[in-house]
Amino acid sequence: MIKFWNKRIKLGVLTENPEFEDEIKIIRKEIKDHIKKKFAGSLAIRMVDSGSCNACEAECNALSNPYYDLERLGIYFVASPRHADVMLLSGLMTFNMQPHVLDAYEQIPEPKWVITLGDCPVMAAPFEKTFAITAPAEKHLKVTHHIAGCPPSPKEIMKGLLEFLRKI
Amino acid sequence: MRFIARYAKDRGRVFEIATVYDTKVIKEQVHKEKPVIKTLSHEHPTALWFERKMQDDFGIIVEDAFDKRPLVHQEYFDTNLHPMRKDFKEKELKKSKFHPYDYEVIKGEGVFQVSVGPIHAGIIEPGHFHFSQAGEKILHLEVRHFYKYRAIEKMVEGKTLQEAKPIIERISGNESIAYQICLRDIMLQASKQELPQALQKRHAFLLELERVIHHLTDLGFIPNDAGFSAALAFCSKLAEDARRKMKELTGHRFGFGAIDFETKFIDTTSLHEWLDNLQKSVEFFEDWILDIPSLWDRLDTTGVLSLKKAIKYDSVGVVAKASGVKIDRRLNPFYLQHGFEVAYENSGDVAARFKVRIKELKNSLQMMHNFLEEKTTSFKLNSLQDGEFMSYSESSIGELFMAIDIKNGVIERFFVRDPSFMNWQALHLMMSNDIIADFPLINKSCDLSYAGNDL
Repeated sequence: MIKFWNKRIKLGVLTENPEFEDEIKIIRKEIKDHIKKKFAGSLAIRMVDSGSCNACEAECNALSNPYYDLERLGIYFVASPRHADVMLLSGLMTFNMQPHVLDAYEQIPEPKWVITLGDCPVMAAPFEKTFAITAPAEKHLKVTHHIAGCPPSPKEIMKGLLEFLRKI
Repeated sequence: MRFIARYAKDRGRVFEIATVYDTKVIKEQVHKEKPVIKTLSHEHPTALWFERKMQDDFGIIVEDAFDKRPLVHQEYFDTNLHPMRKDFKEKELKKSKFHPYDYEVIKGEGVFQVSVGPIHAGIIEPGHFHFSQAGEKILHLEVRHFYKYRAIEKMVEGKTLQEAKPIIERISGNESIAYQICLRDIMLQASKQELPQALQKRHAFLLELERVIHHLTDLGFIPNDAGFSAALAFCSKLAEDARRKMKELTGHRFGFGAIDFETKFIDTTSLHEWLDNLQKSVEFFEDWILDIPSLWDRLDTTGVLSLKKAIKYDSVGVVAKASGVKIDRRLNPFYLQHGFEVAYENSGDVAARFKVRIKELKNSLQMMHNFLEEKTTSFKLNSLQDGEFMSYSESSIGELFMAIDIKNGVIERFFVRDPSFMNWQALHLMMSNDIIADFPLINKSCDLSYAGNDL
C-alpha cells in the first residue's frame, strides 16, 4: 500500500491534458451551475439498456473514470429507478425488453425525463428493423432529449447532458 | 472431443442440423413434417441451450431432452412462431397471451427464491438470475437471458457480406474486432486469397489492443466488486488511455469498421514507447494489488469451477484457462512466432481468473511490440464464391465461432456462437459453495457478454 501512496505523491495528477481539458472545463462548469439551480445540486440518472451492443454502457462507465469524473458535478448513476430523475435509455427496445423498460419508467417518481443514448433507440444505427425490435423509443415513451453517436464518446455524453439541462 | 456448436438450417423440405466439434463437423437432415432429433446434452451439457434455441427458432423437437422450455422466446412471444424458418416474414409482432416461465427452483422448508434482473443496479446489460437460497447460501442459480434478442441472424440474411459488416461489428461492442476478424477470415476463404503479412500483423495488433482494453476494465471492476475501488480508478485510467489509442489508430473508440484491407501509416516509435509505459503501469499494478491481503481474502477460493467441470461443460476462454484447460485459438504458428504463450491457472476461482487476465494482458503487450510493422501493402479482395464457411478467433472473452453460408452472393444462413454462450451455462456451477453476496464478484470475474449471447 505504501508503494501506491509514494507513487501518488511523486507523480501528482496523471490525467491532465491541457488541450482536451480546456473544453471539458467549460462544459463542467456549466453543468454544475445548471444542476445546482434546477436539481438542488444532484441529478440522479437511471441507465437502462434495452438491447444495445454494450458500447454505450462502456462509455457511460468511462464517465466515472479519473479523466471525466462525472460525480464531481453532482451527476449520479443510481441503482433504482425510484431514486432517479432521468432515465438514460440505450438500445433497440427489443420485444423481450420493452415491457421491463416501461415498468422501470413507471417506477420513476414525477417529475421525470427520458434521454435516449446512442443511435439505436432512434433506429439510426446500422441495425435494420426486425420482428424483435420495437424501436424507435419515441413510440413508447415521451423522450425529452437525444444524444447521438455510435456510441457517443464520454465527451459527447457530457455535452448532451448539458444540452438537456439547458432545455428544461 | 470438444463440443463447439449445434445449429440448424432451413433447406426447403428438410432441416439440416450441423454439430461442430473441434475435430469434425457432423451433419444430419430431418424432414420438416416431422422434425425430431435426439439430444446431445447427456454427453455435452452445453448442447442444451443450442437445442432449446433450435426448438424456438425452427420448431425442431428434441425428443429426449429433459428441458423443453422456451429459451429465446419470452413470456409475450407467440409459441407457434418460428422466426428462423424461411417462410417467416413478419416485421412486427403482436404480444401474445402471457405464458409464465417455469423456473428451475429448489423447494423446501426455509428455502426461498431471489430474482435479480433483467434491469440491474449498475450500468450493465440486462439479464435475469434466479437464485434458490438457504439463508445466505446459494443452493441453485438459474441464468435466464435473451432479453436483448435482436434477431441478428435473421437481420443479415439476404445481404452481401459487405452490407452485413456494419451489423456484425456491432453485435457485441467489447468484442467488435474479434467479430470482424471472423468475418474477414470467411471473406478470405470465399475469395480463395491469402492475407499479406503486413495486414495480418495490423489486425492482430488491433485484436490485442481490444483485449488490453477489456482486461484493463475488468482488472478494475473485479476488485471494485470486492470493495477495493482504488483499483478501478487506476485501471479505468489506463483503459481510457488505451481506448484513445484505439481511436487514434482506427478512428473509432471501439474499432467499429477497423478491420479492412488497407494498411495505414503507424508511428511505430511512439507506439513502442506507449506500450513500454503501459507495461510499467501494469507491472506496478500487479505488484501493488498482489500485496493487499483483505482483497485476496475475497478472491481466493470464491466461485470455483473445477477442471473436471470445465471440460465437461466445454468452457472456453478466460474461464477455461483459469481452471487449467489450455485452449486458445491463438495457438497457431503465426501467433507463436510473435511470442504468444497460453496464460493459465489451476485453482479455477475468482483469483485465478484475475491472474489469467493479468498474464494475458502482459503477454498481449509483448506481442503488440512484435506486431508493429511499418511496411505498407495493397490488397484487393476478389469476388466472393458461394459456399459454406466457418471461422474462429479468440476474443477477449474466449473462442468465437462464426459460420456463414453464401448462396447467390448473399447470406443464406448466418450463425455465430459467442464464447459467452458456452460460459453462461457453466456459471451456476461456480456458485455451489458461495453466498449470494459473492455473486456479483463471480459474475464480473467471468465478464461474459449479454449482447453476444442473446444476438
